[in-house]
Amino acid sequence: MIEIKDLHKSYKMGSNSLHVLKGINFKVEEGELVAIMGSSGSGKSTLLNILGMLDGADSGEYTLDGVPIKNLSETKAAQYRNKFLGFIFQSFNLINYKSALENVALPLYYQKVPRKERQEKAMKYLERVGLKPWADHLPSELSGGQKQRVAIARAMAAEPKVLLADEPTGALDSTTSYEVMDLIQKINDDGNTILVVTHEEDIAHMCKRIVHLKDGVIVEDKKIEQVRAEQYV
Amino acid sequence: MFDRDVWQEIFNTIKTNKLRTFLTGFSVGWAIFILVMLLASVNGMQNGFVGQFNDDATNSIFVRPGTTSKAYGGFEAGRRIQLKNDDLEYIKQSFSKDIEYISARYYANAAARYKDETGSYSVQATHPDHQAIEKTLVVAGRYINEADIVNKAKVAVIGRKVAEDLFKKEDPLGKFIEFNGLPFRVIGIFTDDGDDNAERRIYAPVSTYQRIYGNTNEIASIALTYNPNYDLTEALAFSERLEMLMKRRHKIAPDDQAGLNVWNYAEAFENISSFTSVLKGIGIGVGFLILVAGIVGIGNIMVFTIKERTKEIGVRKALGARPRQIINLVLLESVFITAISGFVGLLFAWMILAAVGPMIETPAFSNPSVNLSTVVTATIILIIAGVLAGLLPAMKAANVKPIVALSDI
Repeated sequence: MIEIKDLHKSYKMGSNSLHVLKGINFKVEEGELVAIMGSSGSGKSTLLNILGMLDGADSGEYTLDGVPIKNLSETKAAQYRNKFLGFIFQSFNLINYKSALENVALPLYYQKVPRKERQEKAMKYLERVGLKPWADHLPSELSGGQKQRVAIARAMAAEPKVLLADEPTGALDSTTSYEVMDLIQKINDDGNTILVVTHEEDIAHMCKRIVHLKDGVIVEDKKIEQVRAEQYV
Repeated sequence: MFDRDVWQEIFNTIKTNKLRTFLTGFSVGWAIFILVMLLASVNGMQNGFVGQFNDDATNSIFVRPGTTSKAYGGFEAGRRIQLKNDDLEYIKQSFSKDIEYISARYYANAAARYKDETGSYSVQATHPDHQAIEKTLVVAGRYINEADIVNKAKVAVIGRKVAEDLFKKEDPLGKFIEFNGLPFRVIGIFTDDGDDNAERRIYAPVSTYQRIYGNTNEIASIALTYNPNYDLTEALAFSERLEMLMKRRHKIAPDDQAGLNVWNYAEAFENISSFTSVLKGIGIGVGFLILVAGIVGIGNIMVFTIKERTKEIGVRKALGARPRQIINLVLLESVFITAISGFVGLLFAWMILAAVGPMIETPAFSNPSVNLSTVVTATIILIIAGVLAGLLPAMKAANVKPIVALSDI
């Protein structure tokens, strides 16, 4: 599904250049649930940005579902993001004047799906995250966990190949965190490929594989026994 | 473009920033208001000027003889030029296609008397065509006709003031009035909305006066109107030809303005229209500059909106919004605010003009108003202004890196 070969990335900071990613080789198969771990400054966010086509790499290859991702125009990148990727953010990033349903329908809007079909599809995903009764509520009327579930529904609405979650539980208390992880695990059980960036050990152990990043290189990449979040909920 | 989601977003931003939107919208509305008012004022001024000149037919030309100031064709300077009946016939024949109406003028003064009332008035002895040239409005009876000319009839068309002065309450029509002791029958009364002095005038057949004053065939001046289908250049070309021919006929140096003067209303009219078009240009210029301030205001609010929504735009891009969709969103919002506030300004200006305009009626300023073309122009300007105001912020918005949305603080 995802294949990365010898990925390098550096940022210019005035006259110095900061080498953030120093040759990452990395492969994700379909249906995997991967945790990317590392302390701040390890390059995990940069890696996620490149995987999310939000940033370009300096050198190296990136193939997503057999499509080489290289030298994309803004428009093309937008199309690929829409088609291939679903984002889940730490601070949810819901649009505050749109109802839960409209938020979920937004990626479909950018896919030019007709309004009615859009609503139906969005409702289906809201139901899946268990928020159908809250469809007409604004984000301000939802709790943190509910917001993140709306965000997950939104990320899934466009039926992307890969879900990218950047610290999805970072802004949530532990109980809510486990609820969200439970949802992510269930989505993964349905066969979706998910990448989770986190620095919390317990969250990482709820995935099936942990990739440890340190100073721009992968120091550890191991399959683990998944801890089900269900038992804590 | 007419997408419910897009409009929902536009209304939402406006709703959350009511005061800010109102204030910036106000500046554009105000600018359009001023622009329309300025144009209407220029229009009113133009109306006023045209009204002043409407007293005479606007296509009239006057040929007035004078005294030569240059020696020419074997004659010394200082020769008095006298027009005669055959000059009139000559013009009539040479320019039959160019001339609409033509009349001679013969000026005299009359000590008029009716019963015990007396007064001194100026008499203009003319041909029947003169009525059309001066736009004389006969309110009772008739004007001079061909038969009066042929018969050298002692008839007179008197101004309303003359009738008031001499006849008081009596009906002057058919009564005899004495001019310098000679009885003239009153055949008509005229009014003039130009001024009262014009109504203290008396018209009489030119042939009659020529006989009274020594059986002469002399005339004081010639008034004519040219073919009304002529445009300005044709009219000017015609009056030039006329001047040249008349000067040759009377052996006057071609550049001697004192010898013979051909005065074309079109020329004066052109001066006025160029004057008002300059005013109009200034009006548009000033209005436009004010509008620029309004545009900058809208641009400013848009930049602010974008700044506030940077994160949201980033999220949208992460969700797959194309740069063009973001640009469209911002542009549409800007055009919407500009157009709505501009229309409000336009409507206000229009209402004020509709209510007050017709009441304003002074010599130099009458009925300020705007026509459809002004409204259409203003609308086009507004939409362009909206696009201009939104363009820079829109580009800025399109350039928002979606990475910003991800970098949580």
